[in-house]
Amino acid sequence: MSKTMQQSDKTVPQSGKPVLQLENLSKTYTLGKRDVLALSNLNLTVNAGEFVAIMGPSGSGKTTLLNVIGCIDKPTKGKVLLDGINASELPENQLYKIRRDKMGFVFQTFNLLPYLNARENVELPMEGRGKSKKEQTQKAKALLAMVGLSGREEHRPQRLSAGEQQRVAIARALANNPAIILADEPTGNLDTQNKQGIIKLLANLNVTQGTTIIMVTHDGEAAHHTERMLLLRDGKIVKEKQGSHAMKKNHTCPSCGAPIKLSDDKCPSCQKPIYSNDEAF
Amino acid sequence: MGMLNRAVRNISRRKTRALLVIIALGFALSIMISIPAGVLANQKTANTVSSSLSNVINQTGATINQTLTQIDCSLASSNSGFGFTPPSGGSSGFTPPSGGSSGFTPPSGGSSGFTPGQFGGGTVRGQFGGGAFGGGQASPMNESLYNDINTTISGIASVEPILQASEGNNVTRNLDFNGYTRTITTLDVTYEIEGVPLTADLVDNYPILPTNITAGSNLQAGDSGDVLLSENNSAYFGVGVGDSVSILGQSFTVVGIYSPSSVSETQTLYMSLSDAQAVTNNTGYITSFVVFAQNSGDVSSVASAISALHPELTVTTAQDRESTLSTEESGYTTALASANASDSKTYSTAIEEIVVVVLATSLIVLFVMLYTVKERTKEIGTLKAIGFSNSTVMGQFMLEGILLSVIAGVVGIAIGSIAAPTISSLLLPSVSGTTRFGGLAVASLTPELVLLGFGVAILLGTLGSLYPAWRAAKIRPAEAMRYE
Repeated sequence: MSKTMQQSDKTVPQSGKPVLQLENLSKTYTLGKRDVLALSNLNLTVNAGEFVAIMGPSGSGKTTLLNVIGCIDKPTKGKVLLDGINASELPENQLYKIRRDKMGFVFQTFNLLPYLNARENVELPMEGRGKSKKEQTQKAKALLAMVGLSGREEHRPQRLSAGEQQRVAIARALANNPAIILADEPTGNLDTQNKQGIIKLLANLNVTQGTTIIMVTHDGEAAHHTERMLLLRDGKIVKEKQGSHAMKKNHTCPSCGAPIKLSDDKCPSCQKPIYSNDEAF
Repeated sequence: MGMLNRAVRNISRRKTRALLVIIALGFALSIMISIPAGVLANQKTANTVSSSLSNVINQTGATINQTLTQIDCSLASSNSGFGFTPPSGGSSGFTPPSGGSSGFTPPSGGSSGFTPGQFGGGTVRGQFGGGAFGGGQASPMNESLYNDINTTISGIASVEPILQASEGNNVTRNLDFNGYTRTITTLDVTYEIEGVPLTADLVDNYPILPTNITAGSNLQAGDSGDVLLSENNSAYFGVGVGDSVSILGQSFTVVGIYSPSSVSETQTLYMSLSDAQAVTNNTGYITSFVVFAQNSGDVSSVASAISALHPELTVTTAQDRESTLSTEESGYTTALASANASDSKTYSTAIEEIVVVVLATSLIVLFVMLYTVKERTKEIGTLKAIGFSNSTVMGQFMLEGILLSVIAGVVGIAIGSIAAPTISSLLLPSVSGTTRFGGLAVASLTPELVLLGFGVAILLGTLGSLYPAWRAAKIRPAEAMRYE
């Protein structure tokens, strides 16, 4: 463990290696006098560079799973291996570093600090990492450019549209070159157009930067545009399916199997859009 | 984007609330620094009052001791001619009865209104001395009158003949007494001469001269042509030690200046008896004399012997005066006790009020910061989710609370520097006895109090935001996902 750990700035773990391993994961909540089993003996491996969607009905354990992966919540049983580190055994005064250096959170409600401008919001996670102010600013500007917000660095959140705010949040999540981006309903508060834009942005980051993305969503369409769709029910993964993004990454049209390029929106041979509106499950 | 910068932005984000909190805290802090300022001022006032009271008590006591063996003798007042009784405690300015003792003649060509003996009477030094507030009038008498007293009465240690004379301007006015109008002439005194015999025996052994010399030296036995001025005299004549001063046309050398121990002495200058007699053209005359008994036990027998020998004399003994003085003294002692009591009451009140203000201030900070933390739960959760440590989050909120208090501290010091006297006089009991014995000290902020104000602001900011900041640190990052 990892050179990646020490050289976390280069982070992005080599494609194909497991970056997240969940082993026999269980989580029990006590609600009143009742014990609720939120996660039940769950096993999951996510490889570096994957774009994963976690779906499932309300109460299926999606959020609990995301919290446990994000080191926000601790499992009752089982292991969480992040980039080879057993995070389930770390105390809180270590966990915040994992969250800061290994994770990038994207929230449904964006959660930008309203009194900071876009650039300052992106700089936040870099604080306390020994970078100079100048380096932080440069990096923040580069990230904002990457998510398509050049020229809007000094705008405060209330002067940005919902889609723009979520782009700032994604740039902020990328600030410390995390091993995994954890997105909780990132499109839940967006209109259709912005929704597509954000999914495209995430897919693009996944392809061009090799960023591992785990996204919890209700939205079947959004899920379908990922590489790997997992269905959660009663704290277990009950179904797994390939998303259209997998085909695209394999340079294959998901509709007719003809060869396509990563940059294609439509299949050059069958003319169907690569990101379809199919119901995922 | 530092922590401080964020704290500032967070405070300025809720401008109205921040303003209200700062004003409330500012007032609390201004009270907190005004109270010690007021306590200091009250202490100063109480000290002034109590030290001047102590002085008065000591002087009174000293006067009692000094005059224990003293018997004052003067010619009886002849007020009967006026048809009314003079007000007690002195009847300054009544013209002496015409046809007083033989031989008295005003100095020819003397300054206006010079009338020897006009304010004679009491010859007690100190509180109840002669002069303007002496006990009744005395008529000039022949110096030789006392010679037989000294030879025929036993138990006498010494006799001090005195000539008192006042210089001033005659003022004529009409007085109405129960329907009878009488025109009387009063003297607006500019200075008084007291001639005392400067013999070695009297100067060395008896309280015939003032003791509180503030410049130069006292009169010595055998001095002639010298004068001891009161501070008022010195100012009136515009002269100091070593200068020469013209008194009734004759030049004297100022040997010293004394601080009067009572108001009755303020205009009195001392010189030798013979000089006084010469300068007032009264050679052979005195206005009163003091008989010193050999010991205090002899006083009443000597006094009655004098009265028997010379019934025309008014004879006052130390015992007569002592009861008056003792009454005065106990009054001063009560006043001193009450001044000291109000000082300690100031303390206890100040402590109670400061405790209340400290509690109020900490509670303001506490509730404002708790509210802020609750309001910003989602933000705190977000910060923790993106990698802020518990201690950073805690520090952030502590800093905000402290910053708020420090700004309030500046406001408080500003308010306090203007309103400290008002605040402290509203909140603290006042010291009694200030009108008679020393002025009221005004509360003002010292650099120490300003520093104290800042220190207290920082301390209370820290105390008040400790728990809210801890609450903030304990917020789980998962709240960032759920909290709306």
